[in-house]
Amino acid sequence: MKVFVNNREILLLPGMTVKHALIGAGLLDEAMAGKKVFDEWGNELGLDGALTEGNSIYVK
Amino acid sequence: MLRIKKVFIALVVCISLSILAVSPAHGQFKELRILHLNDFHGFAAGKRLIGSDEMQGGIACLAWLADNLRKEKPTLLLAAGDMIQGNPFANLFQGKPVIEIMNKMGFDAMCVGNHEFDFGKDVLRERITEATFPVLGANVKGMPGLKPYIIKEPGGLKVAVIGVVTEDTPFATHPANVEGLTFLSPAATVEEYVRKLRDSVDIIIVLSHLGYNNDMLLASRVKGIDIIVGGHSHTRTLKHMLIGNTVIVQAWEYGMVLGVLDVVVQSGKIVEVKSRLEEIKPSQMKKREDIAQIVEQYGRQVDALMGRIIGKALVDLDGENVRTRETNLGDLITDIMRQQSNSQIALTNGGGIRASIGKGNITLNDIYTALPFDNYIVAMKLTGREIKEVLEHGVSGVGLKEGRFLQVSGLSFTYDPKMPQGLRVMDVSVGGAKMDIDATYTVCTNDFLAAGGDGYRTFREAMKESQDFSITANTIKSDKITYNDSGRPLKDVVMDYIREKKRITATVEGRIKEVSCNEGVCKQPGNPSAPRYDR
Repeated sequence: MKVFVNNREILLLPGMTVKHALIGAGLLDEAMAGKKVFDEWGNELGLDGALTEGNSIYVK
Repeated sequence: MLRIKKVFIALVVCISLSILAVSPAHGQFKELRILHLNDFHGFAAGKRLIGSDEMQGGIACLAWLADNLRKEKPTLLLAAGDMIQGNPFANLFQGKPVIEIMNKMGFDAMCVGNHEFDFGKDVLRERITEATFPVLGANVKGMPGLKPYIIKEPGGLKVAVIGVVTEDTPFATHPANVEGLTFLSPAATVEEYVRKLRDSVDIIIVLSHLGYNNDMLLASRVKGIDIIVGGHSHTRTLKHMLIGNTVIVQAWEYGMVLGVLDVVVQSGKIVEVKSRLEEIKPSQMKKREDIAQIVEQYGRQVDALMGRIIGKALVDLDGENVRTRETNLGDLITDIMRQQSNSQIALTNGGGIRASIGKGNITLNDIYTALPFDNYIVAMKLTGREIKEVLEHGVSGVGLKEGRFLQVSGLSFTYDPKMPQGLRVMDVSVGGAKMDIDATYTVCTNDFLAAGGDGYRTFREAMKESQDFSITANTIKSDKITYNDSGRPLKDVVMDYIREKKRITATVEGRIKEVSCNEGVCKQPGNPSAPRYDR
């Protein structure tokens, strides 16, 4: 599945989560240090949250 | 004519009255409170917030709050899936403590999440039998005990609750866990039940383990859903979303918040909505003592189990040098991974192994210390060329003791750390034969590397370049993936292996050899010279 992290395309395997998308984008360390992850409607997401095709998430 | 008119009017009034008699709560304002929880994953004692020392959650505090909120108005307490699997409190007892707690709390219903299937169908059936509340899964066919929906009547309001789970479930757990089950389209399933139930109830709630985006799609596709209480995407909806007339909520994860949705219903329509997430702050809240006792009782059992001897190491198992050379613990772990996923090759990053296991008794604690991460095994088909690329990346940071150094099984290779990056790996053999750069091999690794962790891009790129790569219903359709069990951490696989074998020994087999090459002749310290292999 293809998702977007801070507008960057990341390819994930089935069952992979927000955490995996951040690993792919090289942003997991920032999230572990306290930055938060949001969906495109501004809702905060947990790192183990499921993603679906085309999801856009943002690390802030 | 006048008499006919009067008879007609009388008939209309009679029919209307009879409709009102069977249609509940018609015309009256009725209040309903929905308390909701999702993706609890067995975090009964709470969880430390990321990037902070503060603890949040704790089911005993959440239960105390739920009891108080229930006293205020007619209430349903609902769980939107992924409740019974996730951390040692749940996993070591295959979810039993969570059901025990949910029974005590008086849940009205729960829908299954994909992780409810991670212990297999037989265990799930046991948990469903133990539950004193209905467990819902309208789009799962073949699972005994699951109900498609329930009808509850809090405060005289007739409420249908339909449960659905992601149809991706079979792709994220071991195939054996869902063998014989069919996961139907959630939208088509909900549409069918809404059609069936709409006229006989006041409101319809979908208890969904589909994820927030899919909940929105469901609401836009299926008319007649009043509320979707969701889970799966671990979304912290500070305020409800409204799609058409459908209210959508979700309560983050791990019981760190309790979702509170208050609605007023009139004539089968929601006329007022208020939603909030109540934070569960153990330092500022009371506990429900009976729940706290269950948490403590199982917590003591977890501690005892963690210290229980599960096997014996006949030699020291080296987890210290995993970032610079092959070790016997690295060999053991990758052998187990290869066996579990029935792959030809196993590759794992040394950085994922964090401690040695000393000669002598092995406890669960030893395994959890050596493998502290919740990594799981994934396997896919890679060409010899792609495998070579992965191995090159593995030795590219060896001088800096970086975690990307690989421990391997099913293959052997030599490398010269003095050569330029990308040209260091030589003599790659798979199963004892020279690796064919154009042939395809099944390779397992962990999810961290497969996602691109430690700078490994090859696994993801291989998926992308696959000729048969396609996406249908949010799922990758590809014969590239041969194993993908996100519900079973690698440490649990290793734990089960040691439990079964009891006596564990492993030696460094010479799978990875560091050499120094000069003018085509490569020497290993202390070994005779060997001819150089073409790259």
